[in-house]
Amino acid sequence: MPADKHILSRFDEALEALRGDVLMMASLTEKNLRNAMRCLVDRGSNLCSATIADEGEIDELEKSIDADGVELLRGFQPVASDLRQIVSIIKICSNLERIADQAVNIAKRCRKLNRDPNPSDTEQINAMFAQAIGMVQDSMSAYRMSDVNLARSVLERDKMLDQMNHDLATTLTTTMGLVPERITDYLNLLFIARHLERVGDHAENIAEDAIYAASAEDVRHNKVQA
Amino acid sequence: MIETPAALRPSVAHERAKSIMPSSESNTTPLPTFEVSNLSIWYGEKPAIQDVTINIPSKTITAIIGPSGCGKSTFLRCLNRMHELIPRTRIEGKVLFQGQDLYSPGSDPTVVRRRIGMVFQKSNPFPTMSIAENVVIGLKLNGVRNRTLLDERLENSLRMAALWDEVKDDLRKPGMSLSGGQQQRLCIARAIAVEPEVLLMDEPASALDPIATMKVEELIHELSAKYTIVIVTHNMQQASRVSDRTAFFYVGKLIEFGETTEIFAAPKEKKTEDYITGRFG
Repeated sequence: MPADKHILSRFDEALEALRGDVLMMASLTEKNLRNAMRCLVDRGSNLCSATIADEGEIDELEKSIDADGVELLRGFQPVASDLRQIVSIIKICSNLERIADQAVNIAKRCRKLNRDPNPSDTEQINAMFAQAIGMVQDSMSAYRMSDVNLARSVLERDKMLDQMNHDLATTLTTTMGLVPERITDYLNLLFIARHLERVGDHAENIAEDAIYAASAEDVRHNKVQA
Repeated sequence: MIETPAALRPSVAHERAKSIMPSSESNTTPLPTFEVSNLSIWYGEKPAIQDVTINIPSKTITAIIGPSGCGKSTFLRCLNRMHELIPRTRIEGKVLFQGQDLYSPGSDPTVVRRRIGMVFQKSNPFPTMSIAENVVIGLKLNGVRNRTLLDERLENSLRMAALWDEVKDDLRKPGMSLSGGQQQRLCIARAIAVEPEVLLMDEPASALDPIATMKVEELIHELSAKYTIVIVTHNMQQASRVSDRTAFFYVGKLIEFGETTEIFAAPKEKKTEDYITGRFG
């Protein structure tokens, strides 16, 4: 963000409020994602229901941020870094909402898994979760601090998450053959892994928006150098 | 068609330069209409423009933006030597127009101003003249007397200025009887009637309502197919909408010049960013 103050203080106030809203939305989304994983580890169906219900607040925030962003565009016709900030916020907000959707999907899968008294093997899933939520946190930090290098590191980490998903799918598919009576459980675990992989994709999108907001560089669809 | 007087034709040197340009380059980079180098202008002791170097490509729209007093109107006026009408003006540096030095001893300011037309902030039709007389006055002053040719140029100019349909039945009415927006388009018709190669516009829509402004902007866009246009504007949205390239001036200096999309999305200079985002001063 430009360090100097805008001649119109109302613009600075409105843009700061919008940034505050998207950071709050990110906090709520992260909390939902953590709760969704607790559903799996702690096996609590009430928590599953609460996580699913919490999505409503995030949906409302998305609509509110979109409306405020459009109002800023309409009222002030911003350009350069101001325009990039607002466009990035609107896009980040959309990706956060989709991450929250994935949290709900995970909670729904967990509710099904929890019907079985035998706990599932969640070690590999936990590792994927740590990777995915780390990417969400760092992409939002990169946006908040205009840290292009941190954002780039998130883009590189998405490949690792994809590989983890691939490895887990191989393991679970093999296990399904060995323990066919629990094939439904393993399918649910496969879906949860897939949802976490999608969380990583959205974190990658947020990191791309953070880079665009900070430097005007559009890195979408570029191949990340190994 | 009226034969263009020799003094108003593009220079032979420019035509030759066109023919020797590599075809691949000429497809992507238009030849500059103006090549300005190390230009400085003073009004008395006060510097108005300092060491400006810029190339303005042909058949493009270049917007000049900057705060009041930054020298943008002075720069515009030096492109057709209009600034010389202000007493105690001094100029250094070079302004090449199609390869020819605008300020060489042999260059006639009157001919220069015929080839490089100007439209001002306030519409200024001649108050005692009809709509038709306003349009063809430049031709008459250049000695054109053929009635058929004058009528042909009158209609063509008014059509190009998107005014023909509105005034074709009222050509004998005073120019001042038109609305503000129509008067400004009449002035544009007057400017293009003498078939200039360049149109300089100094805030041409600043006194107009939004609808008239949009008509003038649409007209500028259409005219850019035929003319090189340089427009000074305080309205940054207008600069962003109508121009291909934008130059930002500050205290007489050219701070940044580039593609309009880049200037308004990701300017390279902090001063430009501060100005266009409203964080100036």
